[in-house]
Amino acid sequence: MTDTPVGDAVETVESGTIRSHLNPPPSYDLADHPVPVGTEEVWRFTPLKRLRGLLDGEPSEARLTQENSVPAGIEVSHITAEQAREIGEVPPSERPAALAVSLAGGATLVDVPAEAEIDEPMVVDLSGDSVDTRVWGHTVYRIGNHAKVTVVVRHTGSATYCSTTSFLVGDGADVTILSLQDWADDAVHLGRDAIRVGRDAKVKHTSISFGGDLVRMHANVEYDGPGGEAELLGLYFADAGQHLEHRLFADHTAPRTKSRVTYKGALQGQGAHTVWIGNVLIRKVAEGIDTYEENRNLVLTEGCQADSVPNLEIETGDIEGAGHASATARFDDEQLFYLRSRGVSEKEAQRLVVHGFFNDLIRRVGIPSIEDRLLETVEAELARNVLKES
Amino acid sequence: MTTIEELNPELKGIGRYEYGWADSDSAGASAQRGLSDAVVRDISGKKSEPDWMLDLRLKGLKLFGRKPMPTWGSDLSDIDFDNIKYFVRSTEQQAASWEDLPEDIKNTYDKLGIPEAEKQRLVAGVAAQYESEVVYHQIREDLEEQGVIFVDTDTALKEHEELFKEYFGTVIPVGDNKFAALNTSVWSGGSFIYVPKGVHVDIPLQAYFRINTENMGQFERTLIIVDEDAYVHYVEGCTAPIYKSDSLHSAVVEIVVKKGGRCRYTTIQNWSNNVYNLVTKRATCEAGATMEWVDGNIGSKVTMKYPAVYLMGEHAKGETLSIAFAGEGQHQDAGSKMVHAAPHTSSSILSKSVARGGGRTSYRGLVQVNEGAHHSKSNVLCDALLVDQISRSDTYPYVDIREDDVSMGHEATVSKVSEDQLFYLMSRGMEEDEAMAMIVRGFVEPIAKELPMEYALELNRLIELQMEGAVG
Repeated sequence: MTDTPVGDAVETVESGTIRSHLNPPPSYDLADHPVPVGTEEVWRFTPLKRLRGLLDGEPSEARLTQENSVPAGIEVSHITAEQAREIGEVPPSERPAALAVSLAGGATLVDVPAEAEIDEPMVVDLSGDSVDTRVWGHTVYRIGNHAKVTVVVRHTGSATYCSTTSFLVGDGADVTILSLQDWADDAVHLGRDAIRVGRDAKVKHTSISFGGDLVRMHANVEYDGPGGEAELLGLYFADAGQHLEHRLFADHTAPRTKSRVTYKGALQGQGAHTVWIGNVLIRKVAEGIDTYEENRNLVLTEGCQADSVPNLEIETGDIEGAGHASATARFDDEQLFYLRSRGVSEKEAQRLVVHGFFNDLIRRVGIPSIEDRLLETVEAELARNVLKES
Repeated sequence: MTTIEELNPELKGIGRYEYGWADSDSAGASAQRGLSDAVVRDISGKKSEPDWMLDLRLKGLKLFGRKPMPTWGSDLSDIDFDNIKYFVRSTEQQAASWEDLPEDIKNTYDKLGIPEAEKQRLVAGVAAQYESEVVYHQIREDLEEQGVIFVDTDTALKEHEELFKEYFGTVIPVGDNKFAALNTSVWSGGSFIYVPKGVHVDIPLQAYFRINTENMGQFERTLIIVDEDAYVHYVEGCTAPIYKSDSLHSAVVEIVVKKGGRCRYTTIQNWSNNVYNLVTKRATCEAGATMEWVDGNIGSKVTMKYPAVYLMGEHAKGETLSIAFAGEGQHQDAGSKMVHAAPHTSSSILSKSVARGGGRTSYRGLVQVNEGAHHSKSNVLCDALLVDQISRSDTYPYVDIREDDVSMGHEATVSKVSEDQLFYLMSRGMEEDEAMAMIVRGFVEPIAKELPMEYALELNRLIELQMEGAVG
């Protein structure tokens, strides 16, 4: 080991590893992921007490009720955890994912053959009816070279759920993913979507969280070859007492890859808490990287807390551009004043501002059948609180 | 007693260096290495300090042993606390005027350009720290007439004990962190400034610090009190010659800005590339007060420095402008900390960093808004420039907001020097080095223009030196 930055740089090039305290190295061994106590950098925002023992882990046969709408051409099968590993899923880098892999009793494999162009979205409806049993989920999507597909995963009902999902995206493929957390108020969900982007492939991943008592979602991207592009979108709306946490990690492991992150959230009601962590790592080998991350939070009432931490770690000087932006604010008084001076009532003005805040993001999701329903859900969330109060 | 030269004969060979320079080392010979109860008592005894100060030093020593080393930021495992001299008394007494200074000390300052500054009356008074005690100190008479106190910290303890005791250790408690505890136990030198109510000090007060004894820790302690509606600008700069083994610089700067007062503190740090620079700087602002840190980090092996402002009263304001350059073998882990503890407070942080030659710059900042600090505003901007493929740049902006009615913004960009820019400048007949330096100067310009004129010139010279051989 060397201790100088130059030594580090040489060592990094030689071994391909990097010291990053934000992103622990991946491992299947549970011993490498000790039970967190809450002071760890990656856990310090999460109220561990509300996880209902999800981090202690015991095997469970329990499953969420699943209804799949699988378009022709896509094959769904069941494989063992060992097979998932052999396929080359993205290994776990945190305790929940490691637990899910070891305790779920095998994985669901979704195969999209190479060259297949499937217009109709594959929809997976997952719902639970009890928070008393812990449920583990383990899924691998294998998307062939130059395939084109859309996947929608919808979570509803009550559950204590820990899931890990790998998306192995082939060269030149075009994939749109939407993960919707529309849980009942008592649900707890620790989820990880890990995406490996093939050469020149394009991935759009959207994570939307409305419901749940505690939802903590990871979206991780790494690249299997040059030219890959990932667009990560997110939308969350936290009500009183809810903890909604989204953690992004774009790991630029190959040259000339691109990542774009846009997450927007709104908070209302006493104790609403959102956390957004956006980590970007540009490795030594990854030259010509283009990355930008953005998080915007709109605080609608008193008593909310929005944490927003964008981190950038850059190991090479040969980049196209890197940056991030984060902002948290209340309603823009000037916008409200403008609308009110035009004769719009205060609550209607507030509604319009929130509508405008989310609208452009929803329009970028890229799944027309879902977009309108999302707008309706945002309206319904607003109706629950803001409109009632004013 | 055995002298250091006898113990380490190879030291005799260290006279002149290609890039650094050192005067003959007579003060260091009698100083002990390592830290113990006896060393602390000895320091306090030599200075004939009151008992309460000795007690505080001993408490600091105890807490230093107990506090853990920071595990984040830079790698500090190479610091050998047993191989550091904790107190070096300059063999010279305090001199009353420039002419009275010994020849070799004068030479040292000539290289730093102090006499010119003095001649031009650009600085109000020079408290030049040579080794651990201030040997040259002058305040313009009109300042004294206004009641401004500007002395070295040891003198302040002797001559203004009441005022000193009231504020010492109130902004940064003894056990705040490991290095603050260390500083409290062995501090020596530094500046003490008191600006009375309503007094506006027009010209910047300036002090130069130099480490000049091998392996000598420099533990200066600065305390600045700006009374209600007063204003002062304090300028600190430091350079050090290159030595063989690692040096430690661990200063503590405490600043109290009272109601409606304003303080600006400017530092350009240019320690030689073997110095660990681990500094705790913090200011508290009462209602309506303003604190501005202008922080430049160019030298040192490792710098961990996060000037902080605690906004304790309504409408208090904190501002940090930070520039960092990291070259080969350097890690500049710098940033700022803003704590909003009262309503309607505002803070802003602007950070610019340049990494080259395998150097590493990190921005590490914290904006904390406590409960009750409603209508607070904070804005953080970080820009980093990478001039080659092997350098590293990180951004870790922590935000902790416990209040809803707050506006918080953060933006960061990292870019490289573009070939278009270089091509354009070179097509106008510039050398590549020159063009690169010009681009870097343009990049840091928003902060450079906030510096006093002679500092801005010095900074520009330093950028040119840094950029020599950076390309190709």
